[in-house]
Amino acid sequence: MTFEAAAGQALSGISVGMVLFLIAAGLSIIFGTLKVLNLAHGSIYMVGGFLCYGFTSTFAHVPGVFWWTLMVAPIVVALLGGLIEIFLLRRIYAQDMLYQYILTFGLILILGEICKFIWGVGYHTVNAPWPVNGKTFIWGLSFPVYNLFLIACGVVIFGGILALMRYTGLGRTIRAVTFNREMANALGINVPKVYTGVFMFGCWLGGLAGTLMPPMSVVALGSDMAVIIECFIIVVIGGLGSLPGAFIGAIILGLVTAFGIYIIPKLAVAFAFMLMIVILIIRPWGLMGKPE
Amino acid sequence: MKGKAVLSLGMIVLLVLAFGFQASAQGKKPIVVGFVHTMSGGMSMYGISSEFGGQLAVEEINAAGGVLGRPMKMITRDDKLNPEVGLREAKDLLWSEKVDFLSGTISSAVSQAISNLAKKEKKLYFITIAHTSAITEENFHPYVFRISSNTVPYFGYAPAIAHCKKWKDKKFISLGFDYVSGRDSIKQFKEKYLELVPEAKFGEELWCPLNTTDFTPYITKIANSGAEGVFLAVIYGGGEIAFTRQAESFGLYDKFHMNHPCAGDVETWSSVKKGESYPRGALATCRYPFWAFQDPRNKSFIEKHYNKLGFYPSYGALYQYTAMYVMKAAIEKAGGVDTEKMIKAMEGMVVDTMIGKVPLRAFDHQTMMPTWYGTMDFAPGLSFPHITQIEKMGEESYHTIDQIKKIREGK
Repeated sequence: MTFEAAAGQALSGISVGMVLFLIAAGLSIIFGTLKVLNLAHGSIYMVGGFLCYGFTSTFAHVPGVFWWTLMVAPIVVALLGGLIEIFLLRRIYAQDMLYQYILTFGLILILGEICKFIWGVGYHTVNAPWPVNGKTFIWGLSFPVYNLFLIACGVVIFGGILALMRYTGLGRTIRAVTFNREMANALGINVPKVYTGVFMFGCWLGGLAGTLMPPMSVVALGSDMAVIIECFIIVVIGGLGSLPGAFIGAIILGLVTAFGIYIIPKLAVAFAFMLMIVILIIRPWGLMGKPE
Repeated sequence: MKGKAVLSLGMIVLLVLAFGFQASAQGKKPIVVGFVHTMSGGMSMYGISSEFGGQLAVEEINAAGGVLGRPMKMITRDDKLNPEVGLREAKDLLWSEKVDFLSGTISSAVSQAISNLAKKEKKLYFITIAHTSAITEENFHPYVFRISSNTVPYFGYAPAIAHCKKWKDKKFISLGFDYVSGRDSIKQFKEKYLELVPEAKFGEELWCPLNTTDFTPYITKIANSGAEGVFLAVIYGGGEIAFTRQAESFGLYDKFHMNHPCAGDVETWSSVKKGESYPRGALATCRYPFWAFQDPRNKSFIEKHYNKLGFYPSYGALYQYTAMYVMKAAIEKAGGVDTEKMIKAMEGMVVDTMIGKVPLRAFDHQTMMPTWYGTMDFAPGLSFPHITQIEKMGEESYHTIDQIKKIREGK
């Protein structure tokens, strides 16, 4: 394997990983603060994808329509998340974890059918927007600019969330609620509001990923299930509840899959799962999670 | 005493009348076809399209007087692309709804399960999409009929013959969805290609899970492989669109001779417009290039399908429509719904379809549905990319009877 080939393989693995990072970050943050494992997170991502197609096709004549969609669609998804949290999830916080799984699993089916009802059963495409729609050459290999844009997005968002959590009052509030819910409540923090806000933020991240993905892939029913498994692998490797963990997990998954394909294609799919099993055995709380 | 006599007489009259009504109702008892297909999830387009084809045939047949005076009826069930669910629905259709025949579906795994059930229950099963050759070759039994193409011509022989004619490449790399049809496809492609170009070398076989929509790491590997021809072993649907997008942005369509059997599938590509990514210059095969036929039944079929569902008909719709007419022809020839007589009637039958006269081969109950192949391009008249410079292949692109005999013995 030449250096160019290896570098190209690594870069392609990381670009995929970055979109998965955005979804996994939402899943991880939601779990970290609300202690809810949102099985429907893949569906949230899929709704983001369909909204991206919906807006870009309906307003195709508007210049820069994709960039407007990138701003608006995730917010719509976040609002949907807010409705889900307020009217559905709140009722089951006090109950057994099993109810969470049943509810969020039910959401997978409902959201899937809603997407089918609104946008039909066909496949939809969205074009990469100017100025990130060209090809560039990296070490002799033709590489799409859009993939580099995705890597940049992942890094910027990661940095942004870290800064938010560490340096702002809002971040402190969220960390307080995550750390000790009862104490935060006793100190006068409106915990239900924080819960709704964090859930909406997690959905915003999922919707953002859903909006970023279509130009390099396809909008289709079934993409929710395809993506949720890889997200679980990422959060297990990185540590559920940890944002840096999700970032590292995503990069690891991207690289492991990319090099797995290069070295032993037959086992490529298995590599990620094998790594997850190894982590579960030797360090079950993940690389950057906290043992409980 | 008299009262009792009147009562008994009255009862006898009522009974006679009741049986009388029964007898005439028997004449109108519908012929029920069980339709198991994927009606939800990512592949639901095929189920919904095929259902339309079947129901249209039922409407037409009933409007023309039914089959031997009896109306036809179709009951739809969703298999959710899952063999357990599909099998359960098929059983329910047979035992609770008492259907006369089973038909459907897209998943080869589901179809194999239903075929096994049909064998056990000695009920006829008409496959209308599922392509794995195993069902009519290794796992053949007299109750299964395939009113569809199969992996041998569509994913194997036709692409091989076409590739040899156009490019005659000597070095290949392949990528496929990792399931039975993908595996069959590369095996059958190699089988034919090596027969035509014995010195060809097939490098790495790349496999990815069925739901993959991100192919970037596979594409970079292909880009660095040094191959001449790239063969896609059953990459279809949304995955194929995603692959094309990603492959184009990595320049694959400039560097390699791409062989994309499924690129000719209208139902996948009809949403793509000029200027968007498509498999430029790639070889593709198509099961229903509806724009290329003169038979007016096609025009009406396409219009009705498009008006009802908002997209162009898939080959599934064509095959399910044809299957209903095969059932009708078989019942009429056999003189009734008699399984053994119908099997004899169908073996060797020439089916009059919208795409021409297609023989139903007796040895494997496989209709010799043609495959068309060509080069992907845009052409005036259609808004989406499709095969151009079209050539047709029929029975010669299927396994011969001798080949099938060997396969069945080798089992």
